Amino acid sequence: MSAHPDGYDLLKATIELSTSSLPIETKLERMLQSITDGFQSDRSLHLRPEAILKEGFLYRVAERRKPLWVDEETPFQEERVLAEERDLLCSSFACIPLSDETSFQGIFYIGFSKGRKFSSGEVDLLLLLTKEIGAAIRNDQLHGAAEDHEKSMRQLSMLMELNRALLTTVNFERIVHMTLTAITIGDGLGFNRAMLFLVNDKDRVLEGTMAVGPNNAEEAGEIWSALSQRKGNPSELIAKIESSTENHSVLNSMVKGIQIPLEHAQCILSRTVLEGRTFNIGVPHDEEEWLQTRCERGCHIGSEVGCYVSEHLSRDPKIYAFATIPLWGKGKVIGVILVDNFYNRNPITEEDIRYLAMFSNQAGLAIENAMLYRNLEEVHQELKEAQTFLVHQEKMAALGELSTSIAHEIRNPLVSIGGFARRLDRALPADASEKRYAQTIVKEVGRLEKILSQILTYTHEDAMALKELDLREVVEESLSMISESLRNGGIQLSKEFSEKVPGVKGDYYQLKQAFFNLISNAYESMNGKGNLSIRIHPLLKNGSSFVRVEVEDTGAGIDPESLHHIFNPFYTTKDNRLGLGLPIIHKIVTSHQGQIEVNNHPGKGVTFLLTLPAQEEKQR
Amino acid sequence: MMKILVVDDEESIRLLYKEELEEDGFVVEVAKDGLEALKQVPLFRPDLITLDIKMPGLNGIDTLKRIREMERQIPIVMCSAYGEYKQDLTTWASDAYVVKAADLTELKNTIRRLLRLL
Repeated sequence: MSAHPDGYDLLKATIELSTSSLPIETKLERMLQSITDGFQSDRSLHLRPEAILKEGFLYRVAERRKPLWVDEETPFQEERVLAEERDLLCSSFACIPLSDETSFQGIFYIGFSKGRKFSSGEVDLLLLLTKEIGAAIRNDQLHGAAEDHEKSMRQLSMLMELNRALLTTVNFERIVHMTLTAITIGDGLGFNRAMLFLVNDKDRVLEGTMAVGPNNAEEAGEIWSALSQRKGNPSELIAKIESSTENHSVLNSMVKGIQIPLEHAQCILSRTVLEGRTFNIGVPHDEEEWLQTRCERGCHIGSEVGCYVSEHLSRDPKIYAFATIPLWGKGKVIGVILVDNFYNRNPITEEDIRYLAMFSNQAGLAIENAMLYRNLEEVHQELKEAQTFLVHQEKMAALGELSTSIAHEIRNPLVSIGGFARRLDRALPADASEKRYAQTIVKEVGRLEKILSQILTYTHEDAMALKELDLREVVEESLSMISESLRNGGIQLSKEFSEKVPGVKGDYYQLKQAFFNLISNAYESMNGKGNLSIRIHPLLKNGSSFVRVEVEDTGAGIDPESLHHIFNPFYTTKDNRLGLGLPIIHKIVTSHQGQIEVNNHPGKGVTFLLTLPAQEEKQR
Repeated sequence: MMKILVVDDEESIRLLYKEELEEDGFVVEVAKDGLEALKQVPLFRPDLITLDIKMPGLNGIDTLKRIREMERQIPIVMCSAYGEYKQDLTTWASDAYVVKAADLTELKNTIRRLLRLL
């Protein structure tokens, strides 16, 4: 009989469809079609569980989990039929619930306009076929659930990995970089770009801190193709961030320059902080939706507000989705993260935002901790410096007290020894051998006296007697103190003094001492042979006027290893020196608000550059 | 002949100054502390006084005050191992302040300048 379907073929076709990889909608459609064709029915339908209304006859089928067969021998006897269900009533039809022990996937319906009878073979075949349909739907549901499950598992485990990674360090830069990278990598939250702005409470501004993302579309393409080839687990990617914390991207340096006043209520970033809530700004669908709201800065991003950032970040700020999310520390918003899909223009879903929020809550605490730690380190460093300074001051004070009393006790005997040695020297005839002894005493006493006065100059805060000075005169004066030694040796002295040199407000004696020390150092370094050049010229720096004195020698220069010690008191490379010459110069120059620099050429010589602020020109 | 009174508690300094200044043609008298100096001033009537600061009994600064009560005109040169009083004292009552050194050139020049011998 042609009305009887070929059960084997029909079952085979249904099972093939059921196990195929087609989407469930297509599968169902084709299975129903082949059943309709096989049975030569008017139609067959799958009634979804949510389409089955209470009170109707379908509901009772579903409730009883028993098929309903209506044909010539078994008329329709249900008394309650809903208006929506009337359409299904015809001369012969069957309603078979799709269910197993635990679940219900709706009802299979097959209808015939002609009256007929369902044979027991047909009943069995239809039951088998509907079982297959039910199984196909269940499989699909399970598969979908498994996929969702897997996805959220993956994201949760990634969050966990990231949190663990965040806990491994207190380095601020690294934490921020890790956070932003996690937001942008494909296996992480997968945004195109992420930018962090932190609240500067003192100045009440939001400061661009760091940004991660490709600089342009080409770079984005390269990164993504590389990423798809190397699908690593997130912790491996994070480990890579830890090892390279440098971030030289254009985007990063651009974001780092951004400062937004927090009270700038038109800016979405300030609003995110002030209101402590998330903004998800979607892509507008047509031009009508681009609200032309402009903030003072003249940018508009096709959203409810104008945004300062878009001005910097995109040439055409109107057509990409972005979201801002507050970064919470302990009980307060410490910053804001801006994410966008600038390159692939994907919409940002609420689920994306949910994960971002979950992650940024953790990141916020880590970043706050790192900031606190960084502050702590800074304060610690300052304390350490203050302590070193105090110890130094104390040492100097103790040395000062000691040296004052020593000076008195030692100076008097030195005056007698040296004074009488001089008398002896004068009294002895020129050819007497003892004359040399007397001269040695005179010389050595002179050295001791010099040491004493150096200690006193260094340790005593003499009140400066400030006068307007011509540094050329002061230098000449210092030179005259040493000119005898210069004349006697083989040292060439060259002076280059500018004709116009502005006056300098300073203490004559101190500056004379400083230049004297500098010149005598240069002299001593040349061992009696070489060129000593002294230059004085005016200097303009940052709009201010200075006078520069350069003392250049052709001596041995300074050993590079000692270079950073030379201004430390009592540091000397010569056994017979106290090491106070340069520290005294340094002290005098800095107390005159000046600077001292060293151009060192080991083996060739050294140039000391003293820069002192010029006396302001009198307005006439 | 110009007369100079040297006041210092150290004998060797007194001797040195006396010999050096006498060699330069001055008449020199010495005093070993402030009280002795106060006695010497009206008797010896020096043209100039060199005065040490740190001395037992009456120190140089008090001695300076007391001499100034008697004699306003005599030039007084403060001589000390301490350099740090220099600023205060030169503007106050003494005429010069010399930090003691084995080389007496500075002291001698100061004395000659004050006595207008230069």
